[in-house]
Amino acid sequence: MSKIVLHLYIAGQTPRAERAISTLRQMIEHDLAGYDCELTIIDVLAHPQQAEEQKILATPTLIKSSPLPYRRVIGDLSSVKDLLNVLNLPPQS
Amino acid sequence: MVIEAQPRSRAEDYLRAVVSHDADGAIVVDQSGTVRFLNRAAEQLLNRHGAELKGQVFGFPLVVGERAEVEVLRPNGEFAVAEMRVLSIEWEGQDALLITLRDVTFERQAEAALRDAEAFSFAILNSLSSEIIVLDEHGKIVAVNEAWLEFGRRQGVTDLTTIGVGADYFALCAAAGPGTGGPECLQGLQAVLAGKLTDFTYEYPVHSPQGTRWFALRAVPLRGTRKGLVVAHNDITEQRRAAQIAAEAEMLREQVRQMERELVNVEAISHPEEMVRSRLEPLRQRDPERFQDALKRYGELLEAALASRVHRLPAPSRSLRDLGEWLGASWAAPRDLIDIHLQAMRDRSQYHTPKKLQAYFEEGRLLLLELMGHLASYYRSIAAGEVSSRD
Repeated sequence: MSKIVLHLYIAGQTPRAERAISTLRQMIEHDLAGYDCELTIIDVLAHPQQAEEQKILATPTLIKSSPLPYRRVIGDLSSVKDLLNVLNLPPQS
Repeated sequence: MVIEAQPRSRAEDYLRAVVSHDADGAIVVDQSGTVRFLNRAAEQLLNRHGAELKGQVFGFPLVVGERAEVEVLRPNGEFAVAEMRVLSIEWEGQDALLITLRDVTFERQAEAALRDAEAFSFAILNSLSSEIIVLDEHGKIVAVNEAWLEFGRRQGVTDLTTIGVGADYFALCAAAGPGTGGPECLQGLQAVLAGKLTDFTYEYPVHSPQGTRWFALRAVPLRGTRKGLVVAHNDITEQRRAAQIAAEAEMLREQVRQMERELVNVEAISHPEEMVRSRLEPLRQRDPERFQDALKRYGELLEAALASRVHRLPAPSRSLRDLGEWLGASWAAPRDLIDIHLQAMRDRSQYHTPKKLQAYFEEGRLLLLELMGHLASYYRSIAAGEVSSRD
């Protein structure tokens, strides 16, 4: 089973960003506990070049690059249930 | 900006016309989050050309409830805050999502500035050592500082909501009852609120197991559009104590002046030449060793007097008479006695509580007057020829 690779793009330590990080940590620790999971957090204020390369237009943006299909989600990332649904996680074996 | 796919229906034409002219940014994405359409307002918000974004993945929008807030990134590194709403639509014959983005950057900046200003105001309030409350036009507390809450804690208030924001300060004053100063305060505060007084000051005591402390309440109108009062409470116990001590010292000085006049007369009758000599130089300079001896003896008598007061024992008046005569034999003048007395007080002021110092002061004053009396008696007996020689 391929590793779950997630990239979260945020714009500074805003309450929105903190909420998204908290939700993702909860999701990884509880709902994806049995999976190999990697989460990278990128602050676009500190790394604007990475945001431009990835064509990030809004934050928070969460990208699931693995397993396929590739998914990109923006907006309110405070619901684990909605996130799992949109990202097609956990992966169906 | 339009990706042609399926023939458009009349309903879709209407929708396209509406979103094209919407003042809010509108982006249509498919189920994978890929941009299918965006209007002019969205281009301006993102500060990007529509052609650049065509076919690009914007992202699948997630909204919990009616709306979500996102930061919209611009190529120059700046960003705007936008309120995002999402609506499921049919676009070019396929299921799609209409994302509307309303720029709320200004509102959020204004809110943040307001929060900063509020925090700044509270920081100023909390930096002041005075206990401060702000009242609205009905006497309700709308703001307090940390010093006020700390004062409440020290007074044993367990439920701080009774003296905190929302509490009715006018009702607290009224409930305090006659003799507490509460009704007088209430009257003064209402007069300031009504514009009859420019400000109001009132001094009141607060009794506690640790002793009585005095406070000054000062109320001024709240400046600005809102009607209300700023009420500051300051602990003035030390100032009152200092004023009391100053008043007592003045009274003492007057008594001493009176006694000095009497002594001068008595001395003038006895030994005019020696009297003149003795008045030229204080004992402290004339005979430092004797001054120190006198200070030691006076200190011992002061301690004994205080102990006799505490334990209700008879005061050692004989020793005081001896000291008075001994000082008289040294040509001590009233100012020398005051010098000794004040030095004894200063020596004690470093090590004792204000309450004990007050006791020293009260007892010392009586002791000093009695000592003056003994000195006067001694000089009188000299004048009358009862004592013929000095040491």
